[in-house]
Amino acid sequence: MHPRPWILFWFFVICCHLYLDYSLYRRWKGWIRGMKTGFAMSRLKMPVVRIWLYEVFLQRQLFSLSVMRWLIHQCIFWGFISLTFLSLTKFILLLLSRISLDAGLHDFFSWGAGYPFTKLWGDFFGLILFAGCAGALARRFVLRPVETAHDQTDTFLTVYLLLMTLSGFMLESLRMALSPSDLDNYAFIGGIFMPARFGIVAGLGTWHAVTWIFHAFSGAAILAYLPHSKLLHSLLAPLVIALNAAEEEGRKDMYWPKTKQYRPIR
Amino acid sequence: MEMEACARCGECLAWCPVYAQDPRESICSRGKLGSLKRIVTSGLNGEDMKEFLEGLYECSACGQCHIVCPVRINTHELWEQARESLVKAGISQPEEQIKHLTAIRECNNSFAKPQTERGLWAETAWRAGLLKEPVRLWKEYQAPVLYFAGCTASFDPAMQAVAVQSARLLQEAGVDFSILGPDEPCCASKLRRMGDPGFADAAQQRADLFLRSGIGRIIVSCAGCFKGLHSDYAGILPASLEVLHLTEYLDRLIREGNLTPTRNVSMKVTYHDPCHLGRHNQIYREPRNILHAIPGLSLIEMRRHGPFSLCCGMGGGLKLAKPEIQKKMSAARIRQAEETGAEAIVTPCQTCQMGLMTGTEATSSGLKVYHITEMLIRSVCPEADRAHIEKAFTEIETG
Repeated sequence: MHPRPWILFWFFVICCHLYLDYSLYRRWKGWIRGMKTGFAMSRLKMPVVRIWLYEVFLQRQLFSLSVMRWLIHQCIFWGFISLTFLSLTKFILLLLSRISLDAGLHDFFSWGAGYPFTKLWGDFFGLILFAGCAGALARRFVLRPVETAHDQTDTFLTVYLLLMTLSGFMLESLRMALSPSDLDNYAFIGGIFMPARFGIVAGLGTWHAVTWIFHAFSGAAILAYLPHSKLLHSLLAPLVIALNAAEEEGRKDMYWPKTKQYRPIR
Repeated sequence: MEMEACARCGECLAWCPVYAQDPRESICSRGKLGSLKRIVTSGLNGEDMKEFLEGLYECSACGQCHIVCPVRINTHELWEQARESLVKAGISQPEEQIKHLTAIRECNNSFAKPQTERGLWAETAWRAGLLKEPVRLWKEYQAPVLYFAGCTASFDPAMQAVAVQSARLLQEAGVDFSILGPDEPCCASKLRRMGDPGFADAAQQRADLFLRSGIGRIIVSCAGCFKGLHSDYAGILPASLEVLHLTEYLDRLIREGNLTPTRNVSMKVTYHDPCHLGRHNQIYREPRNILHAIPGLSLIEMRRHGPFSLCCGMGGGLKLAKPEIQKKMSAARIRQAEETGAEAIVTPCQTCQMGLMTGTEATSSGLKVYHITEMLIRSVCPEADRAHIEKAFTEIETG
């Protein structure tokens, strides 16, 4: 395998992260200016927490409106946060392993008995995210519902996530071709893209490095792109849901979707 | 924050009753949120600002977009807040709204009539024999319950029947109540709906009046006033002061056996949820319970009902700003009601009743539009039905 530009990568990650933090800080200053009152945690009563859990994790409202849209969104939501969780966990374990505080978990998940679990997790949620993005694009360009926003940046983001997922699978398959392991069967999607299947055997090292650069750098770039994209709603929607539900609860007029009793029919 | 939380999914557009009549992006919440965001960040050019303002006021603040928004963005409150901020910045409301707001500020009612006329409906009804006993004024007798009729039922001759019937039903149930009469203020919620910066002070004045008077329970027969007193005044009124909509209270009285609809009312009706009662206050069950309690009456739901009820266009100052759009909206609602095969459409809001009547006129529909009190009166004490009230009031007026 060709060496990978780790130093450049980490420099890029830090820059993107700093930019994200700065953007969010600037926005936060604007948001709190618009808040009528401060938010007391005591306002998070049980019905508010219940609404929040239902809406953020299960997206019940969306389910009541369109099962197809709900399925697409759930795929993107769970795919995205599960892969982010995997990357973050691996990163934290790597840091901890450098100071011998990882309790051996880094090695366990990177090449020990936990490795198949990592592979299964990555491939499964990668597939889920891929399916969600493909579904979103199909809905946008094939079904073309009237309410679709004609905003090129939304399409760009979906394609971006789709390509990131694809490059992840490609990267995995190239790694498997270059350094095969008995546990490779657990990477059930990566195996489909194995270059040997297509009769390609030469120049894999270069392709591996190129794919790694694309995948790693585009993953880090998402941090910087987040405040300017539709992805911002992934951070703000849970906040808005909590704030508005708490306000409604305070006024005793909280909206709780009774989807069985009142069916939404356009 | 809400401006940036919008995922641009467009559900608001698909459900917006105004967009259905005037399909422009600037009308729906997604378009308005986008424009608001641009106002805050980079500013809007003259043409875009004009378009945004049109969209902002071409909105009945019905709250349908809030109900279908997967992010639960509190859109109607955002529009009211935006209207207020723009007024503070020197960009005022449409001409007709300004006239209406001036009347409220100067005369304490939206009809620009002397306050001395506010409680006359009760006197006239008693003289006409429509009530079991005279309705007493609060300043003379502090009853446990205050009936708050609101401007429309107090001043509009076409809607005074609602106040009379509400009072009669309370009397039939043996409720000890009084009214503020000439001291009853306008709830001022329209100031909030149309973004008048004087709302906070006006609400505080009214809340002080209720507190000074020692009122413990207010029954409101107008959905708009109920939204005002119950939701807009939240945090101003003490928790000990109970504000109930008439339908909540009547439902309770029926369930407790204090009011029994006995006479058969053989009719097929459909029910129209007022936005301020339904989507804004989650009162869907109680009015339906009342209708189900009336013998012989059968209720058929419209395609869009409950939280998805189609707005008649009377709210948020839309009727004043764009009467032609309101007409189309109410016509659309009447067509939905006709689809059910019902003989009449029933609503517990006099403003919606007026709005729906515009719709029956526009569609030349034979569908009758009734206030819910009319249905209940026909079952409890038919001698106080709308026809009798209108006849008696006309006779007294003409001497």
